[in-house]
Amino acid sequence: MRRRDLLKLGGLAALGASAAACGGSGSGSGSGGDVELQFMYWGSTFEKAAVERMLKQYQQKHSGVTVKPLYTPDEYDVKLNTLVASNRLPDVGYVPLAMSFRLGEQGKLVNLFPYLKKYPQLAGYLPDAYLWSGQDNLHGVATANEIELLWYSKSAIAAAGVTPPPADAASAWTWDQLVETAYKLTVDQNGKHPDEPGFDPKQIKQFGISSSITYGAAWYGFLRSNGVDFADEAGKKCLLDTPEAIEVFQNLQDLIYKHRVAPGPGQLAATGDDVPGTNILLKTKRVAMVVDGHWSLLDMNESKVDYGIGVLPKYAEPFTSTQVAGASAVFAGGKHEQEAVELFAFHNDPRYVDLFAKGLWMPQEKKYYEDQAAIDSWTKNDLHPPEFRTAVVDYARDHGVPVFGNRVKNMSSISSDVLTPALQEIETGKRPAGEILKAAAPKITSMLQGWQHTQDL
Amino acid sequence: MTAVATPDKTARRGVAPTQGLRRPRRYGRILLYVALLAGSIPTLLPFVWLVRSALMQDAQMFVSPPQWLPSPFQWSNFSEALTTQPFGRYFLNTLVIAVISVLGTVLTCSVAAFSFSRLRWRGRNVVFALLLSGVMLPYAVTLIPTFVMWQQLDAIDTIAPLTVPSWFAGAGGGVFNIFLLRQFFLTIPFELDEAAYIDGASPWRVFWTIVMPLSKPAIIVVTIFTFIGTWNDFLGPLLYLQSEENYTLSLGLASFQSMYLTQWGYLMAASAAVIAPIIALFFFLQRYFIEGVTLTGIKN
Amino acid sequence: MRRLETRWGILMALPAILGFVIFTIGPMVASAFFSLTDWTIGGSPSFTGLDNYTTMVHDELFWKSLGTTTYYTLGAVPLVLIVSFAVAMLLNEKVRGLAVWRTIFYLPTLVPAIANVVLWIWIFNPDFGLLNSLLRQGGLPGSQWIYAESTAIPSLIIMSTWGFGNTMVIFLAGLQGVPRHLYEAVSIDGGGAWRRFWHVTLPMMTPTIFYNLVVGVVGTFQVFNQAYVMTEGGPNHATLFYVYYLFRKAFTESEMGYASALAWTLFMIIMVVTFLMFRNARRWVYYEMAGAR
Repeated sequence: MRRRDLLKLGGLAALGASAAACGGSGSGSGSGGDVELQFMYWGSTFEKAAVERMLKQYQQKHSGVTVKPLYTPDEYDVKLNTLVASNRLPDVGYVPLAMSFRLGEQGKLVNLFPYLKKYPQLAGYLPDAYLWSGQDNLHGVATANEIELLWYSKSAIAAAGVTPPPADAASAWTWDQLVETAYKLTVDQNGKHPDEPGFDPKQIKQFGISSSITYGAAWYGFLRSNGVDFADEAGKKCLLDTPEAIEVFQNLQDLIYKHRVAPGPGQLAATGDDVPGTNILLKTKRVAMVVDGHWSLLDMNESKVDYGIGVLPKYAEPFTSTQVAGASAVFAGGKHEQEAVELFAFHNDPRYVDLFAKGLWMPQEKKYYEDQAAIDSWTKNDLHPPEFRTAVVDYARDHGVPVFGNRVKNMSSISSDVLTPALQEIETGKRPAGEILKAAAPKITSMLQGWQHTQDL
Repeated sequence: MTAVATPDKTARRGVAPTQGLRRPRRYGRILLYVALLAGSIPTLLPFVWLVRSALMQDAQMFVSPPQWLPSPFQWSNFSEALTTQPFGRYFLNTLVIAVISVLGTVLTCSVAAFSFSRLRWRGRNVVFALLLSGVMLPYAVTLIPTFVMWQQLDAIDTIAPLTVPSWFAGAGGGVFNIFLLRQFFLTIPFELDEAAYIDGASPWRVFWTIVMPLSKPAIIVVTIFTFIGTWNDFLGPLLYLQSEENYTLSLGLASFQSMYLTQWGYLMAASAAVIAPIIALFFFLQRYFIEGVTLTGIKN
Repeated sequence: MRRLETRWGILMALPAILGFVIFTIGPMVASAFFSLTDWTIGGSPSFTGLDNYTTMVHDELFWKSLGTTTYYTLGAVPLVLIVSFAVAMLLNEKVRGLAVWRTIFYLPTLVPAIANVVLWIWIFNPDFGLLNSLLRQGGLPGSQWIYAESTAIPSLIIMSTWGFGNTMVIFLAGLQGVPRHLYEAVSIDGGGAWRRFWHVTLPMMTPTIFYNLVVGVVGTFQVFNQAYVMTEGGPNHATLFYVYYLFRKAFTESEMGYASALAWTLFMIIMVVTFLMFRNARRWVYYEMAGAR
């Protein structure tokens, strides 16, 4: 649709003016060399405060540039879509990953590839951080790195007298070790474990483990560890119906219904809107161990949980999902592309954003995982426990696999139409995982359009 | 819709505003109160649960089996929740939208209802039937084009898409209001109009000085229905409002939900606080409200 | 005078007529056009004829969402009608504290959709929610409520029944319009409460019941909020409501053309259903005056 400024409703001119002031990529004032940018983002209140501090710093360092934050905590994709439809894109901002590829292909996002030479910092990211919508078309990066970890309550572990989850990949638990420990950590209201007679599965006081079935990032590491991927190398055939994949999902389903050591759907699962966060689960000891993202660290510290961090259990080689985050991008069509790209490079730089040291984000630049001084700059503080180096930094660097959701084409349709419903069915436990996956995989295959483009710099 | 648009004579019969027709025997009365009580418990229980949760610490909410009484009472949930986000601002935004919508709806709907009930012109009934058919139209059909239209008018992120339709008789759902007002207007004796016309009054004058003052109950009903509808609207603000400073309460609450995923005590407190003013408003107006609907007699 | 009336009549109906043209007819026509195009947000529409409609025939989720919505409607509408009719009957009696009772039963209608959803998520939670807590205290097994395929829709039906206030108010209005002399006639004939209900109240209320039925079906077919905020259509598409599916196609997957086709199909379905209801109505809806339909 072409944008036409039809008759504006006269009586609404005042309102329109106030709206125009806070919207529209071309809202820079033009004259006098002043630059006005708009930065659109989501996140918790905490992230909001940090982003505001970052923007303040940026404006201090770049006089003549003002950045307006457009904070949109809810229904981000709907909102961004309406902005695209109405041609009122911000200059820089977060973009839901799947959508970023579509916008990239439509040319709504600035190709950052030509800027890599000019801003060497941008060229130093982890290779998996880059998002390509075609050869030499770099439409964005994942905002920050995130990986999946095994969080646990220290006091729950101590009370059960079991060894805590190992904090380095080399000594990662096998799946059986995880199940065994989970048994010891699960107790009903009468203090009975699931393998004891008289155990009441309806009245469980403390679950051993929670590991989401519906959240891809939570199980992708297991899948890869068992030697299989979401799709084949061409990205045209879904592999979720292979014996290896079925084993992974059957094991997850068994945690709930066979071993009864994990909460069922809606009960206390760790991800989703309608449940308490991992911090509350561990603090109240409703669950002793939880598979959840690194970002939980912030909440753990905020709510003063007595937590520990371990690596995920393994099948063969240990793996965890990385790049479990949204994208950031520069929107096309703005008047000040140069400044926007500068803001883009700035917005997730650990030197200016305290979300890294506070524990919400992990850096995207390689040096923060390799260079000792750089590693210390974000991890040497009270908010990062001693095991953080091996359980997170080394683990992410050496055993990370970028989560499939960012790399499979047509993922949002696949996810909402087939994958999520199938996973929900596994979670409700009415049918074995294999049956469900064998029905779902061909449907996914028919929707697959290959992997997203990747390339070396 | 033919059945909905029924002739006037039955409605004009009027009904005495007293309820209750007969005195049930004693055991019948006891049964009546038992039934009312039994019905009101499930109606009220969710509210009790809301208030109880709003006063709890997060940790206590997740205990199994659940506990009924907060200990300690976490009053700070309210102050914290209401200060972390500009709920005052959201309240004002919502109020502005609601008031503009109510004014527009009441005015344009009653004018139209007057025309459809008390002025005779050719094609009147056809037009009215056509308007009524709009009730059958799912909003989903008009959703996308209406969105595109406002976008072309550059009115996204203004309150125009949320208020302007109400000044055109509230668009789709507004027809219900016209219908309701029309039914009520039909109960007012036509002799009053005729006398005024003989004195040389214009139709507007008849509308404004005779019909409107006699129609307060119906106007209050339309006011309340419109007010509640606007106050609770979620989809409209979700699509059309973008900047945080323009958010309505519903939208603010939804974003609050995303921001405080882990702080359920706050969320419950915020929800309770959002519900409270509208309950208060209703309590004060409910007498007129029920009376209004009753007198209007949404018959056939 | 006649002329004056016509002039004023049209003038005063003008806002409503304009509103109808601008906000109903216009968008309807536009929507019909969009439904014949392939149009993604950010792109421009290209004409594809009836492609969207043929795609729909083979779209499993279209049928699924239609089924889900029908199931929900068949459950929610009768339940709301029965409950609100029963409560309206109670409130039509001379009871003490009528204002308080009325407020209590109308209260749920006042809760904003989002707050409502937040509240019910907590009521339905299998682990620490209100319902399971009550059931277990009564020695009954709990349910998975919205978290299991088989109970998700019934749960949402319960939730919708809670907000029966508006329907109740309209029933109340209808009840008060039942002419007294009819009751007296039955009483004189020696009829009891049951006969009064069966031979006077019910027949006299059929127009109101019919009205609430039509409004209820049309409204319920468009259910959206619960799926959008609460269940996201899950588990396993159990609550994939039609309008939610449409919204997802339009605003998250940005397939505006296909979504418009879905919208038009819904319109036609509702038209057909409404038409059938009206045709059927002749058989059971009682009209006071023959020919005064």
